[in-house]
Amino acid sequence: MARSWDKAAVVLCMDVGLAMSNSFPGEESPFELAKKVMTMFVQRQVFAENKDEVALVLFGTDGTKNALAAGDQYQNITVHRHLMRPDFDLLEDIESKIQPGSQQADLLDALIVCMDLIQEETLGKKFEKRHIEVFTDLSSPFSRDQLDIIIHNLKKSGISLQFFLPFPIGKQGGTGDRGDGSLLSDHHGPSFPPKGITEQQKEGIQMVKKVMMSLEGEDGLEEIYSFSEALRQLCVFKKTERRSMPWSCQLTIGSNLSIKIVAYKSITQEKVKKCWTVVDARTLKKEAIQKETVYCLNDDDETEVSKEDTIQGFRYGSDIIPFSKVDEEQMKYKSEGKCFSVLGFCRSSQVHMKYFMGNQVLKVFAAKDDEAAAVALSSLIHALDELDMVAVVRYVYNEKTNPQVGVAFPLIKDAYECLVYIQLPFMEDLRQYMFPSLKNNRKCTPTEAQLSAVDALIDSMSLVQKDEEEGTIEDLFPTSKIPNPQFQRLFQGRKKTIYFFSSHEEGPTCKKLKTEEEEAHFSVSSLAEGSVTCVGSVNPAENFRVLVRQKKATFEEASHQLINHIEQFLDTNETLYFMKSMDCIKAFREEAIQFSEEQRFNNFLKALREKVEVKQLNHFWEIVVHDGVTLITKDEAPGSSVTTEEAKKFLAPKENANADSAAAFEEGGDVDDLLELI
Amino acid sequence: MSGWESYYKNEGDEEEEQEEGLEAGGDYSYSGRDSLIFLVDASRAMFESQDEDELTPFDMSIQCIRSVYTNKIISSNRDLLAVVFYGTKKDKNSVNFKNIYVLQELDNPGVKRVQELDKFKGQEGKKYFEDQIGHGSDYSLSEVLWVCANLFSDVQFKMSHKRIMLFTNEDDPHGDDSAKASRARTKAGDLRDTGIFLDLMHLKKRGGFDTSLFYRDVIIAENEDIGIHFEESSKLEDLLRKVRAKETRKRVLSRLKLKLNKDVTLTVGIYNMVQKAYRPPPVRLYRETNEPVKTKTRTFNVNTGSLLLPSDTKRSQTYSHRQIVLEKEETEELKRFDEPGFILIGFKPLMMLKKHHYLRHSLFVYPEESLINGSSTLFSALLTKCLEKEVMAVCRYTPRRNSPPCFVALVPQEEELDDQKIQVAPPARQGPLSVGLSRQEHWSGLPCPPPGDLPDPGDLTHISCISGFQLVFLPYADDKRKVPFTEKVMANPEQVDKMKAIVQKLRFKYRSDSFENPVLQQHFRNMEALALDLMEPEQAVDLTLPKTEVMDKRLGSLVDEFKELVYPPDYNPEGKVTKRKKDDESYGSKRPKVELSEEELKAHVSKGTLGKLTVPALKEACRMYGLKGGLKKQELLDVLTEHFQKA
Repeated sequence: MARSWDKAAVVLCMDVGLAMSNSFPGEESPFELAKKVMTMFVQRQVFAENKDEVALVLFGTDGTKNALAAGDQYQNITVHRHLMRPDFDLLEDIESKIQPGSQQADLLDALIVCMDLIQEETLGKKFEKRHIEVFTDLSSPFSRDQLDIIIHNLKKSGISLQFFLPFPIGKQGGTGDRGDGSLLSDHHGPSFPPKGITEQQKEGIQMVKKVMMSLEGEDGLEEIYSFSEALRQLCVFKKTERRSMPWSCQLTIGSNLSIKIVAYKSITQEKVKKCWTVVDARTLKKEAIQKETVYCLNDDDETEVSKEDTIQGFRYGSDIIPFSKVDEEQMKYKSEGKCFSVLGFCRSSQVHMKYFMGNQVLKVFAAKDDEAAAVALSSLIHALDELDMVAVVRYVYNEKTNPQVGVAFPLIKDAYECLVYIQLPFMEDLRQYMFPSLKNNRKCTPTEAQLSAVDALIDSMSLVQKDEEEGTIEDLFPTSKIPNPQFQRLFQGRKKTIYFFSSHEEGPTCKKLKTEEEEAHFSVSSLAEGSVTCVGSVNPAENFRVLVRQKKATFEEASHQLINHIEQFLDTNETLYFMKSMDCIKAFREEAIQFSEEQRFNNFLKALREKVEVKQLNHFWEIVVHDGVTLITKDEAPGSSVTTEEAKKFLAPKENANADSAAAFEEGGDVDDLLELI
Repeated sequence: MSGWESYYKNEGDEEEEQEEGLEAGGDYSYSGRDSLIFLVDASRAMFESQDEDELTPFDMSIQCIRSVYTNKIISSNRDLLAVVFYGTKKDKNSVNFKNIYVLQELDNPGVKRVQELDKFKGQEGKKYFEDQIGHGSDYSLSEVLWVCANLFSDVQFKMSHKRIMLFTNEDDPHGDDSAKASRARTKAGDLRDTGIFLDLMHLKKRGGFDTSLFYRDVIIAENEDIGIHFEESSKLEDLLRKVRAKETRKRVLSRLKLKLNKDVTLTVGIYNMVQKAYRPPPVRLYRETNEPVKTKTRTFNVNTGSLLLPSDTKRSQTYSHRQIVLEKEETEELKRFDEPGFILIGFKPLMMLKKHHYLRHSLFVYPEESLINGSSTLFSALLTKCLEKEVMAVCRYTPRRNSPPCFVALVPQEEELDDQKIQVAPPARQGPLSVGLSRQEHWSGLPCPPPGDLPDPGDLTHISCISGFQLVFLPYADDKRKVPFTEKVMANPEQVDKMKAIVQKLRFKYRSDSFENPVLQQHFRNMEALALDLMEPEQAVDLTLPKTEVMDKRLGSLVDEFKELVYPPDYNPEGKVTKRKKDDESYGSKRPKVELSEEELKAHVSKGTLGKLTVPALKEACRMYGLKGGLKKQELLDVLTEHFQKA
């Protein structure tokens, strides 16, 4: 999905000045909120794996680092990161390296630095879009004298702007729906800036509005967001969202009337694009794995036949009819190339929503820069709208695709008007089912009391707020502005896993976090599930705990299963699985003390140490040592014969440990099979 | 990738297809085969038509059966069908009862069986019947049912559903023999007890078919529950619809909980009323014998050549050089959010449902009493109130355990019955075989009724529903795309009125079953031709093609009048887009960039030539100076002129 023509250069321009850290008690500061919004943005960028490049410019920093700085010009502005593909380093930087500054810097100066950066660093590279995202509370003074030049240059170089502020600004107008839009407003929060903002900030708002108006007109105001708005709707990053390919065609009515149109996909289910590749469990390489498909006869020996000896056929009832690809190609239906032809018009109520099908909605406009086409299409749109009718059309994307029959209905908004195309079913796609009537069925007729209870429920759970005076309805829960939690989950899940790897290289802090999480996890989900029957590989430690605590298996049985998994994990020689093993070992240790099975654990741990040595898993042993997981001592469990001293020595570096603990190992026996020990 | 993949399917799409299969759950899960016996009265009365042009009841039955056969070949070729005649002269059945002729035992539908049925069609069919089988003088309905029961018990497969459809126009078969009648009633009761459904497809009888004489006690009272009583069928169309309504068994996709709040839960069934029908997947055959081969897929290690078990592999993804490795189960868990079911979030007015926010085809929700008692009553109360208050229920919907949740609207729909008292809903799939009863002959799928035959604009009888909730999927923010729209240029009232005249001329009544899929139709015609060794497959009529001749004729001079009003004289709407390159360049911005310097504009204003500029250019100019103009060209001109005159 990474397409070079769709590449964007984005500068994140963040105010870290003095005032950004101010906040009301109990609220997050603008500084923290801005970081959150940026993190979300960069996360999406990283996981979207597009070719966009992102730079980070901070202003209000104590130091100065930018190409324009000279004398007292462009001070306290730092180019933190130049234009490049976003990665985890950038995320980590935003999370931990950016610190609030103690200075103030001119926002417009910072904008100039950003523009300069884009100019310089996109030289010789092809970027389809350039834009700057500004995060500021507008509380620093700025000098207006350059404003017009800035606006002019932004326009000239095609750089777009988006502002993110700690508070909402008043927005009016915009691309509201006609019909539904004028009645409904999706805006959240008050429509005027909240009280408590300074004169400086008011001035800032005026300036920001002016800039956006001059750049994009009325719509420009739509590109000024509050942090909370941005956090709620990730989709505000419109400049990086996926764009639809134009499809040009002619809308035809009969053989003599055609209108040049262009159509775009406006709604289509966004799916997780990246799939999981199958890798070898040991080497984690996908190259090591190959799949092959073989054909065999349906006889007792399952005799294999080569693919060349097979032909294609189709079922036709009880018969199977051989039908080669060549024949099929020759005989199959061929559409006559792309088209968007009206088959007829009907009342809009005859095409019920329940018949809509297919996986996309197309918006059909007149061809670009073609006024005649625009007037012609407008006539059709308004004719349909006024008659409350729709067009039924045949739609063929290109000569290789199958024809569709669909509905095209008018959509008229303040800013634009178009036809909306949605596919309709073929007769073959319909299913007729009959259901007992609910209306006249004595068995399920609700009582008056039941009806009024439901009535009250509906009233109490209304998702809209009606303003009687203005006659507007506000949607309190606009689902189409909520991002898909699946993507959020993926971003977060992957981020966690990836951090986990990287942090481990630096230090063990994350590791602890992970165990805590696991603990918490145990208390909630495992008890709720309550159906664990064996130790699985996904949550072995947790399963183990459940098994022994709920006495679903003997301690011996459960620990066998657990040890099996630990061995498997270690065989991978992968840090991630070391951590998982550690969790298992810790769980084993804790439960062993609980259930007076200390000997079993001690035997296991001793054997493990031997195994680690044989298999050269020193790296793993270091983790064990670091976490201080050692033999269970007398003090912890009365059944143990190990002293604290011995336990300490057990973890001591090899050279010393060898002699001292040799004796302890005699009872160990065969080190190759840990299981036999227990 | 092309952003425009259509529903076109080929081999490469199999994975997707599998996923669809999963989605469709209930349709693919296999719980046994449906079996259906067509029991046809072959007494003399069945061969008599009341009218010269009218089909005889027997002929109608045969055509109807044939249509079900061809249907099944496409939709569910594992189902079992049989045809039994009674009241015949000859007999053919396993217990040697008189006057009962088993034409076809329960088996999969196939080409040969369809051809056999064809022999009984029309006048020649009547003769063929008389020669081969002949009319008998007497029969016992209890024996007939006995033979049917035997047919079911002879089947080796697991059957999920057993049904007999009885086609007759005799409303009192044993009027003179009360012993026979009583035996028939007893036998029918026995069948019912063993889970065999018996339906009466009663056909037109002179003087009317009176079910109270005999059949009311024989036929299972399931219709009473539904509250629908069928009329007798005098037209093939009616009979077909009746048969199809019975013959497709509804399959629930899933049964889920609908949580109204933390205490109140009911259970509902989810049904699929539209499902894209694809060409069946090809099967691989062994070249020598044409027998189907099995495929086996193996995963092995390249280095060692050893086969790998699923546990020997893991799943991996790489993001900016960092690899993530998870167990397969863990990748599944990533997708897990809620337990399957609906969680009610709240209610919104129906008018807030946006038609153009369509995401994927909707489903149908109906109460499921089997899991929680009282579900139907609560459901019914909810439906009644939602209809009354004109609201829809917004819910969070998790279809399966490992699937992420989505927002859905439960839109109430009220039941409407059509004149035949069959709940009006889409008819089931119809066979493509074109011989005999062709749908194309029948409904002709004519989007343009012949001139003079325009439907009454007020005729709304076909917008009918089954009572229940329609489950409409709502898009997430991620699913919406901003599109670079074309600048709005409004047509004037005269132009709109002319278009209205065009629209009115091309009016037709849309029916969801008006259009057959030409791709599937051609495929099955090809199959048919090959199966029957025809030289040339019959060409399917493509109903999706516009009937341009009819349309042109109806429109007459309107098109030229419209073009004159809208298009400049030298304009060629068919012309290729030549400004391709320019298009690409300006593509990034959603507006055409028409750069006009202040000097140029001033010059235009002073010379009064501003009107020569295009509307987009004028708008752009207004935007540059922060002027708010209207949408009409004149308004834009006024604003600009005013601005510069002031300056």
